[in-house]
Amino acid sequence: MLDNFLVRKDSLMNFFENGKVAGFKFAVRNANYRGVFLSLHNGYYIKLDDVVYPREVQKFEINGKSPRDFEEIKKAVYEHWDYDDEAIVYVYKDGGISSGKHVMEFQQSVLAAYGYMPTDEEWVKNPPVPGSGAGSDKTVHIVTYELELNEGIDQNG
Amino acid sequence: MAKIKRGVSFYSYQQTQFFKQLGLEGQIREVSENLYGADGIEILDEQSLRQYPNSSDEFVAQWHGWMEKYHVTPVTMDVFMDVLQFRDHVMSHHECAERLKGDIRLAKRLGFKNVRTLAVVPIEILVEALPVAEELDIRIGKEIHNPIPLHGKYVQEIVDYVDNTGTKHLGIVPDWGIFQYQPSDVKLEWMIRHGASRKATEILTQTCLDMRVGVGPLADVDISLVTAGNIEVNWHRYLKTDEAAPYFVKAFKAIVEITNSNISEPSAMDYDVVFQALLFSQTRPEDMGKLMPYIISIHGKFYHMTEIPNRPGEFEDCSIDYEGPINYLKKAGYEGYINSEYEGQRFYQDLPLEQLADEVDQVRKHQEMLKRLIGE
Repeated sequence: MLDNFLVRKDSLMNFFENGKVAGFKFAVRNANYRGVFLSLHNGYYIKLDDVVYPREVQKFEINGKSPRDFEEIKKAVYEHWDYDDEAIVYVYKDGGISSGKHVMEFQQSVLAAYGYMPTDEEWVKNPPVPGSGAGSDKTVHIVTYELELNEGIDQNG
Repeated sequence: MAKIKRGVSFYSYQQTQFFKQLGLEGQIREVSENLYGADGIEILDEQSLRQYPNSSDEFVAQWHGWMEKYHVTPVTMDVFMDVLQFRDHVMSHHECAERLKGDIRLAKRLGFKNVRTLAVVPIEILVEALPVAEELDIRIGKEIHNPIPLHGKYVQEIVDYVDNTGTKHLGIVPDWGIFQYQPSDVKLEWMIRHGASRKATEILTQTCLDMRVGVGPLADVDISLVTAGNIEVNWHRYLKTDEAAPYFVKAFKAIVEITNSNISEPSAMDYDVVFQALLFSQTRPEDMGKLMPYIISIHGKFYHMTEIPNRPGEFEDCSIDYEGPINYLKKAGYEGYINSEYEGQRFYQDLPLEQLADEVDQVRKHQEMLKRLIGE
């Protein structure tokens, strides 16, 4: 659902940590017609300019809290990512990314479902790797975006 | 004469809300002002409410203010069940019942009369939550959604429970999609843009029409006990491993056979396209017969309203039977709501922004049809 609109087009920016460019970030929406408990949010398949950035180098910012990695997000079992709200995905990459256009392949992994599914027990033990299609919820295909680096001032910088 | 009431599920406005073209108040106002006297409001808690499940008292007061200001009525709140919420285990029935009880209490705060659960919620969970529903005078309605037909086990177990206990707070919410008999044109075009061959979509449509009149290899196949998601998971497993639960094998074999006999060297996608024929429930209006007392509310599912040829200003959905079931409901004296539930928007969402569906317009056209068929 809303495949082409999950990443905000003008949101791709570098971000700073300890005075250095630590990676890039962009704004996302939830690929569903409803919000979900935040814990169900299982990370992203992100391939930028042919490099895959796994869940382990991603952080997620929502609900006015500092960015959290997906091990922490997993524990947010009573927190809700509301349908209306945009979140920020942080991807750690020393030095960030260059000016100009970038091609991003993108898939969200959210373990929301219509009740009990045959995969439940397996996903408790081994959550699906984002990009495998499993847990991709309402956007079953990997989506490709062309994004231009926004060189505006990083509010968190 | 009994009168069927009309309302809207805000599921219909999911995309309009996503793009912030209409917020919750705007959606309520739309129902009030542009839908020929419709007054029913149905929401999905996790779509419409902020900070679910902890709506603030201020919000609740504002909500009731809107209901009064716009002369509309909260009818049904749709709720969900995500069994991996805790991530370290699969939720037990008891845990799911606790979530449902919380949803029932939330629905009561917002003035709703009904809570709709997903089709897949085991009856044990509904029964465990039922005392809270009875105490608060909220009816729990289990959605009956394609491809589950009305005569299947999932409806019968509700009927049996209600008959045995006499409870007035449990029933069903049929989704009009059960009266769909062929795929919508907008879905077929979406599938073609995603690589389906036009030939396969034609075979799919023909297979559906054959099933409707009871001919062809799928004429006597009944997969009434499973949901769309579960059929799909099993189907993909079958394609990969050639194995499936015995329950599915006959249907899956028939799909493969139909595809092979109509398309030379079919692609994997061709099989998937023809497979969609299994996602229609083959329900007839008269199947509602004995179930009338158990119907709590109805979802008016639709995909694409188009103008009826030579009848300007009058609209129809060509993939779903509306006239038959509405006539049946009128005769049977149904006095509940039919709430428009537009689901066609998703079949445009791969297109550029300016080509997306106009949800507001589609709902208006659906309400024109409902009003006309109801005979208001």
